[in-house]
Amino acid sequence: MNLRPKEVVIGIIVAGAFFFGEQNRAISGESHPHSVTRPALRRQLHLPIPDFSLTDQTGKPFKFQTLRGKVALVAFVYTTCPDVCPLMTASMRLVQEKLPDRKRGAVFLLSITTDPEVDSPQVLKAYGERYGIDFSNWLFLTAELQTLAPVWKAFGVGVQRKARGLVDHTPLIALIDAKGVMRFGYVGSSPDHKVILRDIDFLLGSN
Amino acid sequence: MSIFRLLLLSALIFAAAGCVRSERMETLYAQRCLGCHGPSGSGDGPIAASLPADVPNFHDTVRNKSVTQIRKIIMEGKGIMPAYEPALRKPEIQDMVLFTRILSQRGRNVEWWERFDPLVWAHCNVPWEIVLGYDQPPEEKKPR
Repeated sequence: MNLRPKEVVIGIIVAGAFFFGEQNRAISGESHPHSVTRPALRRQLHLPIPDFSLTDQTGKPFKFQTLRGKVALVAFVYTTCPDVCPLMTASMRLVQEKLPDRKRGAVFLLSITTDPEVDSPQVLKAYGERYGIDFSNWLFLTAELQTLAPVWKAFGVGVQRKARGLVDHTPLIALIDAKGVMRFGYVGSSPDHKVILRDIDFLLGSN
Repeated sequence: MSIFRLLLLSALIFAAAGCVRSERMETLYAQRCLGCHGPSGSGDGPIAASLPADVPNFHDTVRNKSVTQIRKIIMEGKGIMPAYEPALRKPEIQDMVLFTRILSQRGRNVEWWERFDPLVWAHCNVPWEIVLGYDQPPEEKKPR
Protein backbone atom coordinates (compact mmCIF):
# COMPACT_ATOMS: atom_id res chain seq x y z
CA MET A 1 0.00 0.00 0.00
CA ASN A 2 1.54 3.30 -1.07
CA LEU A 3 0.64 5.98 1.41
CA ARG A 4 1.43 9.62 1.11
CA PRO A 5 2.59 11.56 4.19
CA LYS A 6 -0.69 13.50 4.26
CA GLU A 7 -2.66 10.26 4.50
CA VAL A 8 -0.43 9.01 7.30
CA VAL A 9 -0.90 12.23 9.30
CA ILE A 10 -4.68 12.22 8.87
CA GLY A 11 -4.80 8.53 9.78
CA ILE A 12 -2.84 9.12 12.98
CA ILE A 13 -5.11 12.00 13.95
CA VAL A 14 -8.28 9.98 13.37
CA ALA A 15 -6.93 6.95 15.23
CA GLY A 16 -5.60 9.11 18.03
CA ALA A 17 -8.90 10.88 18.47
CA PHE A 18 -10.69 7.55 18.62
CA PHE A 19 -8.11 6.09 20.98
CA PHE A 20 -8.16 8.95 23.47
CA GLY A 21 -11.88 9.33 23.13
CA GLU A 22 -12.16 5.76 24.40
CA GLN A 23 -9.67 6.34 27.19
CA ASN A 24 -11.24 9.52 28.37
CA ARG A 25 -14.80 8.32 28.18
CA ALA A 26 -16.25 9.39 31.46
CA ILE A 27 -16.85 6.56 33.84
CA SER A 28 -20.49 6.23 34.64
CA GLY A 29 -21.61 8.57 37.34
CA GLU A 30 -24.54 6.31 38.14
CA SER A 31 -25.26 5.72 41.74
CA HIS A 32 -23.44 2.85 43.40
CA PRO A 33 -25.23 -0.44 42.83
CA HIS A 34 -25.54 -1.07 46.55
CA SER A 35 -27.28 1.49 48.70
CA VAL A 36 -24.49 1.17 51.17
CA THR A 37 -25.23 4.20 53.27
CA ARG A 38 -28.76 3.21 54.16
CA PRO A 39 -29.23 2.92 57.93
CA ALA A 40 -28.97 -0.63 59.18
CA LEU A 41 -32.12 -2.52 60.13
CA ARG A 42 -32.23 -3.39 63.81
CA ARG A 43 -33.93 -6.62 64.83
CA GLN A 44 -34.54 -7.98 68.30
CA LEU A 45 -34.12 -11.75 68.41
CA HIS A 46 -33.56 -14.75 70.64
CA LEU A 47 -31.25 -17.05 68.70
CA PRO A 48 -28.89 -19.32 70.66
CA ILE A 49 -25.51 -19.54 68.91
CA PRO A 50 -23.79 -22.93 69.04
CA ASP A 51 -20.15 -23.04 70.14
CA PHE A 52 -17.47 -22.79 67.51
CA SER A 53 -13.69 -22.62 67.26
CA LEU A 54 -11.84 -20.37 64.82
CA THR A 55 -8.35 -18.87 64.47
CA ASP A 56 -7.56 -15.29 65.45
CA GLN A 57 -5.34 -12.72 63.73
CA THR A 58 -2.28 -13.97 65.61
CA GLY A 59 -2.84 -17.56 64.53
CA LYS A 60 -4.09 -18.68 67.96
CA PRO A 61 -7.24 -20.76 68.33
CA PHE A 62 -10.30 -19.00 69.68
CA LYS A 63 -13.31 -20.69 71.25
CA PHE A 64 -16.62 -18.81 71.23
CA GLN A 65 -17.67 -20.37 74.52
CA THR A 66 -14.85 -18.51 76.30
CA LEU A 67 -16.99 -15.38 75.96
CA ARG A 68 -19.73 -16.69 78.25
CA GLY A 69 -20.41 -14.03 80.84
CA LYS A 70 -19.58 -11.22 78.40
CA VAL A 71 -21.59 -9.35 75.83
CA ALA A 72 -20.14 -9.96 72.35
CA LEU A 73 -20.50 -7.83 69.25
CA VAL A 74 -19.90 -9.97 66.16
CA ALA A 75 -19.50 -8.63 62.62
CA PHE A 76 -19.21 -10.50 59.33
CA VAL A 77 -16.83 -8.74 56.96
CA TYR A 78 -13.92 -9.39 54.59
CA THR A 79 -10.81 -7.32 54.20
CA THR A 80 -10.97 -6.54 50.47
CA CYS A 81 -14.63 -5.54 50.64
CA PRO A 82 -15.01 -2.16 48.97
CA ASP A 83 -18.39 -1.03 50.24
CA VAL A 84 -20.30 -2.23 53.29
CA CYS A 85 -17.49 -3.72 55.39
CA PRO A 86 -15.44 -0.52 55.89
CA LEU A 87 -18.56 1.13 57.27
CA MET A 88 -19.37 -1.82 59.52
CA THR A 89 -15.81 -1.91 60.87
CA ALA A 90 -15.93 1.85 61.38
CA SER A 91 -19.14 1.49 63.44
CA MET A 92 -17.57 -1.29 65.51
CA ARG A 93 -14.51 0.86 66.11
CA LEU A 94 -16.70 3.68 67.37
CA VAL A 95 -18.43 1.26 69.74
CA GLN A 96 -15.01 0.15 71.03
CA GLU A 97 -13.84 3.74 71.43
CA LYS A 98 -16.96 4.99 73.15
CA LEU A 99 -17.26 2.13 75.61
CA PRO A 100 -16.66 3.47 79.12
CA ASP A 101 -13.61 1.90 80.81
CA ARG A 102 -15.76 0.24 83.46
CA LYS A 103 -17.63 -1.72 80.74
CA ARG A 104 -14.65 -2.68 78.59
CA GLY A 105 -14.03 -5.87 80.51
CA ALA A 106 -17.63 -6.98 80.00
CA VAL A 107 -17.78 -6.48 76.23
CA PHE A 108 -15.85 -8.27 73.48
CA LEU A 109 -15.80 -7.63 69.74
CA LEU A 110 -15.30 -10.15 66.96
CA SER A 111 -14.95 -9.73 63.21
CA ILE A 112 -15.45 -13.00 61.37
CA THR A 113 -14.31 -13.17 57.77
CA THR A 114 -16.59 -14.10 54.90
CA ASP A 115 -13.60 -14.65 52.61
CA PRO A 116 -11.35 -17.31 54.15
CA GLU A 117 -9.60 -17.84 50.81
CA VAL A 118 -7.96 -14.41 51.11
CA ASP A 119 -8.23 -13.50 54.79
CA SER A 120 -5.41 -15.34 56.49
CA PRO A 121 -4.50 -14.37 60.07
CA GLN A 122 -1.73 -12.12 58.72
CA VAL A 123 -4.10 -10.33 56.34
CA LEU A 124 -6.62 -9.82 59.14
CA LYS A 125 -3.94 -8.47 61.46
CA ALA A 126 -2.80 -5.94 58.85
CA TYR A 127 -6.42 -4.93 58.26
CA GLY A 128 -7.02 -4.31 61.96
CA GLU A 129 -3.80 -2.35 62.25
CA ARG A 130 -4.76 -0.10 59.35
CA TYR A 131 -7.94 0.78 61.24
CA GLY A 132 -5.92 1.47 64.39
CA ILE A 133 -7.89 -1.12 66.31
CA ASP A 134 -7.11 -2.06 69.89
CA PHE A 135 -6.86 -5.85 69.79
CA SER A 136 -7.17 -6.24 73.56
CA ASN A 137 -10.94 -6.82 73.32
CA TRP A 138 -11.39 -7.28 69.56
CA LEU A 139 -10.35 -10.33 67.58
CA PHE A 140 -10.43 -10.98 63.84
CA LEU A 141 -11.27 -14.59 63.06
CA THR A 142 -10.79 -16.93 60.16
CA ALA A 143 -10.63 -20.68 59.41
CA GLU A 144 -11.04 -23.12 56.57
CA LEU A 145 -14.24 -22.77 54.57
CA GLN A 146 -15.70 -26.00 55.97
CA THR A 147 -15.21 -24.66 59.52
CA LEU A 148 -16.58 -21.20 58.79
CA ALA A 149 -19.64 -22.21 56.78
CA PRO A 150 -21.55 -23.62 59.82
CA VAL A 151 -20.70 -20.45 61.77
CA TRP A 152 -22.13 -18.24 59.02
CA LYS A 153 -25.18 -20.47 58.95
CA ALA A 154 -25.66 -20.31 62.73
CA PHE A 155 -25.81 -16.52 62.53
CA GLY A 156 -28.02 -16.56 59.43
CA VAL A 157 -25.35 -15.03 57.24
CA GLY A 158 -25.45 -15.90 53.55
CA VAL A 159 -22.09 -15.90 51.75
CA GLN A 160 -21.42 -16.27 48.07
CA ARG A 161 -18.02 -15.81 46.50
CA LYS A 162 -18.22 -14.02 43.17
CA ALA A 163 -15.67 -13.67 40.43
CA ARG A 164 -12.58 -11.52 40.91
CA GLY A 165 -12.41 -11.57 44.66
CA LEU A 166 -15.82 -10.12 45.41
CA VAL A 167 -17.97 -11.76 48.06
CA ASP A 168 -21.67 -11.21 48.51
CA HIS A 169 -22.62 -11.60 52.14
CA THR A 170 -25.28 -10.56 54.60
CA PRO A 171 -23.93 -7.39 56.24
CA LEU A 172 -24.70 -8.51 59.78
CA ILE A 173 -23.49 -7.21 63.11
CA ALA A 174 -24.89 -9.35 65.91
CA LEU A 175 -25.07 -8.57 69.59
CA ILE A 176 -24.74 -11.67 71.77
CA ASP A 177 -25.68 -11.78 75.43
CA ALA A 178 -23.69 -13.33 78.26
CA LYS A 179 -25.38 -16.72 77.71
CA GLY A 180 -24.37 -16.93 74.05
CA VAL A 181 -27.77 -15.93 72.66
CA MET A 182 -28.06 -13.50 69.76
CA ARG A 183 -30.36 -10.77 71.04
CA PHE A 184 -29.99 -8.00 68.46
CA GLY A 185 -29.08 -8.04 64.79
CA TYR A 186 -28.13 -4.98 62.75
CA VAL A 187 -28.33 -5.69 59.04
CA GLY A 188 -26.82 -3.04 56.82
CA SER A 189 -23.65 -1.12 56.40
CA SER A 190 -24.13 1.77 58.75
CA PRO A 191 -25.43 0.68 62.14
CA ASP A 192 -25.57 3.59 64.52
CA HIS A 193 -22.94 3.03 67.21
CA LYS A 194 -25.11 4.91 69.72
CA VAL A 195 -27.94 2.41 69.22
CA ILE A 196 -25.50 -0.48 69.65
CA LEU A 197 -24.08 1.08 72.82
CA ARG A 198 -27.59 1.50 74.18
CA ASP A 199 -28.37 -2.17 73.44
CA ILE A 200 -25.10 -3.21 75.10
CA ASP A 201 -26.14 -1.25 78.17
CA PHE A 202 -29.50 -3.00 78.10
CA LEU A 203 -27.86 -6.46 77.97
CA LEU A 204 -25.31 -5.60 80.66
CA GLY A 205 -28.11 -4.28 82.85
CA SER A 206 -30.26 -7.37 82.37
CA ASN A 207 -27.45 -9.80 83.22
CA MET B 1 -7.00 10.19 -1.32
CA SER B 2 -9.30 7.25 -1.08
CA ILE B 3 -11.54 7.26 1.97
CA PHE B 4 -11.13 3.51 2.07
CA ARG B 5 -7.37 3.87 2.49
CA LEU B 6 -7.84 6.42 5.20
CA LEU B 7 -10.21 4.20 7.14
CA LEU B 8 -7.98 1.18 6.68
CA LEU B 9 -4.97 3.08 7.96
CA SER B 10 -6.92 4.43 10.91
CA ALA B 11 -8.11 0.95 11.79
CA LEU B 12 -4.56 -0.44 11.59
CA ILE B 13 -3.11 2.24 13.84
CA PHE B 14 -5.99 1.92 16.23
CA ALA B 15 -5.63 -1.86 16.42
CA ALA B 16 -1.89 -1.50 17.04
CA ALA B 17 -2.60 0.86 19.88
CA GLY B 18 -4.70 -1.81 21.57
CA CYS B 19 -7.10 -0.97 24.39
CA VAL B 20 -10.06 -0.91 22.06
CA ARG B 21 -12.23 -0.69 25.13
CA SER B 22 -11.47 -0.19 28.77
CA GLU B 23 -14.58 -1.87 30.14
CA ARG B 24 -12.67 -4.21 32.40
CA MET B 25 -10.80 -1.31 33.95
CA GLU B 26 -14.01 0.60 34.46
CA THR B 27 -15.68 -2.46 35.95
CA LEU B 28 -12.82 -3.00 38.36
CA TYR B 29 -12.82 0.66 39.29
CA ALA B 30 -16.58 0.64 39.82
CA GLN B 31 -16.40 -2.51 41.95
CA ARG B 32 -13.36 -1.65 44.03
CA CYS B 33 -12.71 2.08 44.07
CA LEU B 34 -15.77 4.10 43.14
CA GLY B 35 -17.55 3.65 46.47
CA CYS B 36 -14.92 5.77 48.25
CA HIS B 37 -13.03 7.61 45.51
CA GLY B 38 -16.05 8.57 43.41
CA PRO B 39 -16.52 8.42 39.64
CA SER B 40 -13.64 10.79 38.89
CA GLY B 41 -11.27 9.95 41.74
CA SER B 42 -11.94 13.16 43.61
CA GLY B 43 -12.91 11.39 46.85
CA ASP B 44 -16.66 11.94 46.63
CA GLY B 45 -17.88 8.34 46.47
CA PRO B 46 -21.23 7.38 47.98
CA ILE B 47 -19.70 5.96 51.17
CA ALA B 48 -16.86 8.49 51.56
CA ALA B 49 -18.76 10.75 53.94
CA SER B 50 -19.56 7.84 56.27
CA LEU B 51 -15.96 6.64 56.61
CA PRO B 52 -13.88 7.44 59.69
CA ALA B 53 -11.17 9.01 57.52
CA ASP B 54 -11.14 11.57 54.73
CA VAL B 55 -10.90 10.18 51.22
CA PRO B 56 -8.51 12.44 49.33
CA ASN B 57 -8.65 13.43 45.69
CA PHE B 58 -6.07 11.05 44.25
CA HIS B 59 -5.26 13.05 41.11
CA ASP B 60 -2.28 14.84 42.61
CA THR B 61 -1.07 11.71 44.38
CA VAL B 62 -1.14 9.71 41.18
CA ARG B 63 0.57 12.48 39.21
CA ASN B 64 3.35 12.88 41.76
CA LYS B 65 4.06 9.24 42.51
CA SER B 66 5.74 6.60 40.42
CA VAL B 67 3.87 3.64 38.99
CA THR B 68 5.63 1.42 41.53
CA GLN B 69 4.46 3.59 44.42
CA ILE B 70 0.87 3.65 43.18
CA ARG B 71 0.91 -0.10 42.65
CA LYS B 72 2.25 -0.59 46.19
CA ILE B 73 -0.62 1.44 47.65
CA ILE B 74 -3.19 -0.58 45.72
CA MET B 75 -1.55 -3.88 46.66
CA GLU B 76 -0.84 -3.17 50.32
CA GLY B 77 -3.56 -0.66 51.17
CA LYS B 78 -3.17 2.62 52.95
CA GLY B 79 -5.06 3.75 56.02
CA ILE B 80 -8.48 2.14 55.78
CA MET B 81 -8.11 1.52 52.06
CA PRO B 82 -8.15 -2.27 51.55
CA ALA B 83 -5.02 -4.15 50.43
CA TYR B 84 -6.00 -5.70 47.14
CA GLU B 85 -2.95 -7.88 46.58
CA PRO B 86 -4.44 -10.96 48.20
CA ALA B 87 -7.65 -10.80 46.20
CA LEU B 88 -6.68 -9.55 42.76
CA ARG B 89 -4.26 -10.81 40.14
CA LYS B 90 -1.34 -8.81 38.82
CA PRO B 91 -3.04 -7.73 35.60
CA GLU B 92 -6.05 -6.59 37.58
CA ILE B 93 -3.83 -4.53 39.87
CA GLN B 94 -2.17 -3.17 36.73
CA ASP B 95 -5.57 -2.24 35.34
CA MET B 96 -6.31 -0.32 38.52
CA VAL B 97 -2.97 1.50 38.35
CA LEU B 98 -3.59 2.40 34.75
CA PHE B 99 -7.12 3.59 35.34
CA THR B 100 -6.08 5.86 38.20
CA ARG B 101 -3.56 7.41 35.81
CA ILE B 102 -6.20 7.90 33.15
CA LEU B 103 -8.56 9.51 35.66
CA SER B 104 -5.81 11.74 37.01
CA GLN B 105 -5.29 13.15 33.53
CA ARG B 106 -8.88 14.28 33.26
CA GLY B 107 -9.78 17.85 34.01
CA ARG B 108 -6.33 19.30 33.40
CA ASN B 109 -4.26 20.25 30.42
CA VAL B 110 -2.39 17.09 29.60
CA GLU B 111 0.88 17.53 27.78
CA TRP B 112 0.90 15.70 24.49
CA TRP B 113 3.64 13.29 25.54
CA GLU B 114 1.65 12.28 28.62
CA ARG B 115 -0.93 10.86 26.26
CA PHE B 116 1.65 8.38 25.07
CA ASP B 117 2.28 7.10 28.56
CA PRO B 118 4.64 4.12 28.16
CA LEU B 119 2.64 2.25 30.76
CA VAL B 120 -0.51 2.64 28.71
CA TRP B 121 1.16 1.44 25.56
CA ALA B 122 2.88 -1.47 27.24
CA HIS B 123 -0.23 -2.50 29.06
CA CYS B 124 -2.46 -2.24 26.05
CA ASN B 125 -0.17 -4.24 23.82
CA VAL B 126 0.41 -7.22 26.07
CA PRO B 127 -2.34 -9.82 25.63
CA TRP B 128 -2.85 -10.31 29.38
CA GLU B 129 -5.95 -12.38 28.81
CA ILE B 130 -3.88 -15.01 27.05
CA VAL B 131 -0.70 -14.73 29.10
CA LEU B 132 -2.33 -14.90 32.51
CA GLY B 133 -5.85 -16.12 31.82
CA TYR B 134 -7.24 -12.82 33.00
CA ASP B 135 -10.74 -13.34 31.71
CA GLN B 136 -11.25 -16.74 33.24
CA PRO B 137 -12.76 -15.87 36.61
CA PRO B 138 -12.90 -18.66 39.14
CA GLU B 139 -16.18 -20.46 39.45
CA GLU B 140 -18.52 -18.93 41.92
CA LYS B 141 -18.41 -20.92 45.11
CA LYS B 142 -21.12 -21.44 47.63
CA PRO B 143 -20.47 -22.50 51.17
CA ARG B 144 -21.12 -26.12 51.72
